[in-house]
Amino acid sequence: MNANFEKIAAYIKQHCHADDFSLHIGHVESHETRFAQNRITQHLAGPTFSINLTVAFENRTGSASVTQDDPASLDKLIQTACDIASLNQPDPEFVPSEGPKELPQVQNCDPAAQELEPAKMVDIVQYMIDQAKAFDATVSGLTEKHYSQRMLITKNGFVGYDESTDFGHSMTLKKGTVETKVSYDSKGLARFDQAAEFNRLKEQAISLADKRDMDAAPIAVILRPYALQDLIWYMTWMMDRRMSDEGFTPFTGQMGKLFFGEKFSLYSTLDIPAIKAVPYRDGIASKNTTWIENGMIRNMPTNRYWAKANNLEPNHIFNMYLSGGDATEEQMMQMVPRGLILNQFWYIRSVDAKAGELTGMTRDGVLYFEDGKIRHAVNNFRFNEIPHLATRRILALGPSIPTACSAMLPSLLIDNFNFVDKTTF
Amino acid sequence: MRYLDLAIGKALDLGAEYADIRVQKTSDEVVFLRNLSLKNTSHNVIYGYGIRVFYQGAWGFAHNNVFSEKAVLATAEKAFEIAQLSAKVNKDKQLHLAPERSYIAKYQTPVKIDPFSVPLSEKVELMMETNRILLGYEGIKQAMFYIVSHKDEKLFASTLGTRLELNTQWIDPMVSATAVTDSDSQSRTFDEGGRSTGWEWVLELNLQEKARQIAQEALIKVKADVLGPETRRSLILDPNHLGLTMHESVGHPTELDRVLGWEADYAGISFATPEKLGNYRYGSEIVNFMGDNTLEEGLASLGFDDDGVPAQKWHIIKDGILKEYGSTRDTAMEIGLDYSRGCNRATYYYDQPINRIPNLYLMPGTKPLTPAELIADTEDGVYIQGRGSFSIDQHRLNFQFGGDYFWEIKNGKLHRPLKKVLYKSCNPEFWNSCDAICDERFWRPFGVINCGKGQPSQTARMTHGSAPARFRNIRVGGSQ
Ligand SMILES: [Zn+2]
Repeated sequence: MNANFEKIAAYIKQHCHADDFSLHIGHVESHETRFAQNRITQHLAGPTFSINLTVAFENRTGSASVTQDDPASLDKLIQTACDIASLNQPDPEFVPSEGPKELPQVQNCDPAAQELEPAKMVDIVQYMIDQAKAFDATVSGLTEKHYSQRMLITKNGFVGYDESTDFGHSMTLKKGTVETKVSYDSKGLARFDQAAEFNRLKEQAISLADKRDMDAAPIAVILRPYALQDLIWYMTWMMDRRMSDEGFTPFTGQMGKLFFGEKFSLYSTLDIPAIKAVPYRDGIASKNTTWIENGMIRNMPTNRYWAKANNLEPNHIFNMYLSGGDATEEQMMQMVPRGLILNQFWYIRSVDAKAGELTGMTRDGVLYFEDGKIRHAVNNFRFNEIPHLATRRILALGPSIPTACSAMLPSLLIDNFNFVDKTTF
Repeated sequence: MRYLDLAIGKALDLGAEYADIRVQKTSDEVVFLRNLSLKNTSHNVIYGYGIRVFYQGAWGFAHNNVFSEKAVLATAEKAFEIAQLSAKVNKDKQLHLAPERSYIAKYQTPVKIDPFSVPLSEKVELMMETNRILLGYEGIKQAMFYIVSHKDEKLFASTLGTRLELNTQWIDPMVSATAVTDSDSQSRTFDEGGRSTGWEWVLELNLQEKARQIAQEALIKVKADVLGPETRRSLILDPNHLGLTMHESVGHPTELDRVLGWEADYAGISFATPEKLGNYRYGSEIVNFMGDNTLEEGLASLGFDDDGVPAQKWHIIKDGILKEYGSTRDTAMEIGLDYSRGCNRATYYYDQPINRIPNLYLMPGTKPLTPAELIADTEDGVYIQGRGSFSIDQHRLNFQFGGDYFWEIKNGKLHRPLKKVLYKSCNPEFWNSCDAICDERFWRPFGVINCGKGQPSQTARMTHGSAPARFRNIRVGGSQ
């Protein structure tokens, strides 16, 4: 526990006389080295700190936040939140703060990431630049580390505290007209091997050297895990239980029904050490949750008000684990006559909220395969696609791998992915 | 403030070639109402300082929220140490800062009624009443209203001798209604973006009247037809739509840092490369874009940027030809310019400033032309108001946009309302297809408050603007 947090919490408890309150404190120590075109263009370090207080008098609420913790700032914080609440109108959807909870034990910290020296981070950048130069290419990217502490206490007795670390390294290589990217994002450095990371980037770039023009049309795709990640994030944003129940999303009336493809299962889990799990959110303890099981919708993220109003259990997506299969990319290429392999998507946006339709583009390299073999690279494409319908066209899954701090995803072979336009590059 | 001199003195003692300190207090008041429930009523302050050191062709930036002599000195030292680490990597490829003089100046956003002085109860009452109006329409299932009031109080000092006191603010009201039927759900939103002005703007807007209009339009939209297969048609785009299109397809590609590849790993690069300056036909001859950080009520009208460079006005595209970029002190010299256009901005005290889109707008047409005349002159097209879905590739060439409200135009008349319209185009086809722009009487600003860019990610603001304009022969159709 952070001693300063405890001191702040004690002060607020003593001086805040609202009927109810929730106090969030967060402190993050960051170091970020940004490089572009083989040199460092930005280099940042320092702490960020915030204290956020939400108070209620009956069902009138007010919130305030500050970035200083001296008594005058804390007095101002309490005063501001209470003034807002006293001038506010009653909130018909007010829910009292949570009481004491048993929280799961999580391990979101890696001492190696916490102790990583700035000089070592710059060494990593220097290494990548040297490698890029030797390959007659340029690299641009970011090496970052963060150590975060956060705490939530409430008037009703909830106490939560957690710490986490994050180490990230992402880089885009450009050589001639080839541009491609790899990224690493994890609570620690255990899986980070700088030589392997650059080799992965280099191999990806070499595979893209022979690029040809291709028109957009629906075609089978192998979504590599990093490409799948963005698509799944956007899809889960649409899965809010209340929005669904009120008729705004494609999931209205689909709870408990087979709505996704039967090969598709999505979970939040406390049981995989490679991915982080926050122990609580908004006073609700995280627990293993099945969102989609073999295509059936089992749960949707439900906030505290909607849960209370409808006699449901509140829950939240605290990480994403999509159970994979054992198909290799080679096997997937054998399963359809031709298709594309995608490294990454870019600029995904909702096109039609009720239909659940998204648009977006491919990025970082697209490969064309035919008769089981990669033939050449092709230009980038735009898709307009409905992800839950796309899951019904999943033909095979690869093994799941950690793709970010809180995501573990497989590659997917999906038939007839709806490409509608192409780029000139 | 004594900390300014302390930081600058320390950086010079350590050997900095250039240094600056920015003390910044950002205050936001947010009121967000959904279906008469106050989802967020908050007042948030982010206060601290960032010290930037330039040493041997490289940057170091350190920030802190602790105000004491000891903390300021330690932060300056940290910035210098980091700059030294950067310099080792940059030894064969140093950065250079464009020359700049010193300024002692103050700037304040002109405001008649400070939104922070308007009692919260008054704001909430206005918002509740507006929400009730929306929910009074049968079929409207979601009524939203948010108002964000924002203030930045900055002190800036640099080793050039510059001392600035900049107090800027903006306000952004947004009202939205969502209609639901058994088979569909569609929203209509009143959204002019943010403006650097005071509460007087909210009073002028007559939002309750606007609420009636958007509720009726949401009900029309949810039952409207879908356009059907994509064909080439004319588009007439309103300023509150075109703002986002120009942001994505002109604003971002003309940021010099993107042109140089500095955003290659995340936000992307630009097709508008330096050899195209002065000769590339970006748009038709009537297309003129200004970069203008002196624009009245402009979100990027801040007096000075975070390099200490004063606000300027310049042509980015003139008579359809690419003329210049938005630049910063550290990007300008990379293409041989000996001045910056003053586009370096940070979001919070803990952000290192980066090259940002200035206020950027399309000049109105020079011949008298009303929107009604423009519609009457159009045989087959779609008239689009408001912002919707938007997506563009990382070179800023290929894009697809939706909108918020659509009418089909047939033989010079508004024929029928539509929903789910999308258009696809690319640079330079799109701006070259612009064949008519209404005159200055119909020019309107549109303020973007959420422009995301950078690693670590930052959110910037800038104002766009145009009069309604027509684009010929664009691929337009229904979604899916
Ligand atoms: Zn933007």
